[in-house]
Amino acid sequence: MKFKKYEYTADDELHFYEFKSIGIKGEIKKVVEYSKMNIEEYYNLAFGDFDEKKNEINDKVVTNNGDSLKVLATVASTVYAFTGKYPDAKIFATGSTEVRTRLYRMGITNNLVEIQEDFDVYGMKLNDTFEEFIAGEDYIGFLITRKKK
Amino acid sequence: MKINELNKKKIPLVKINKDLNKYKGKVLFEKKLEKANKLLERAKLPSELIINKG
Repeated sequence: MKFKKYEYTADDELHFYEFKSIGIKGEIKKVVEYSKMNIEEYYNLAFGDFDEKKNEINDKVVTNNGDSLKVLATVASTVYAFTGKYPDAKIFATGSTEVRTRLYRMGITNNLVEIQEDFDVYGMKLNDTFEEFIAGEDYIGFLITRKKK
Repeated sequence: MKINELNKKKIPLVKINKDLNKYKGKVLFEKKLEKANKLLERAKLPSELIINKG
């Protein structure tokens, strides 16, 4: 990725990742999760803030820590890590809100050329069909798979 | 592996944190997973990504 990323750690099966976002609001712990979906080999990618006071995850909060590109680049890096271990995984991602879905779209668009070197990227349209990701199109979800080389 | 080869690798070297094993078997983003499953349930998946078990 052309953007800087944060260092992160993972559990030993590489399903969970943690890193610290450092920005104008201070340090915020972020968690990334890949969970098995109802369809075989499909995993849902989700990430959000870990609220240390409540000891819970919040994926709706808009953090505004001034580092969203760096956070997205970090999440994208975990896709490399996860698919390095699970090369047949199909990763689905959708935002918890429309704003967050647009943020995901922005993250993919900003790195599309590089991402497409290694991954096939699809966008899920409002009519529930998928197409190859096109920058600028509106999508309700995204599907990413590692290219077979 | 030499350092310059290592730097060129896109697959990152991941530092394992045993503390994160506490999440094993849990779903942290339950509502989002539910939403994602519902979306894919009704979706027409790309034909090349449908697993053929035949």
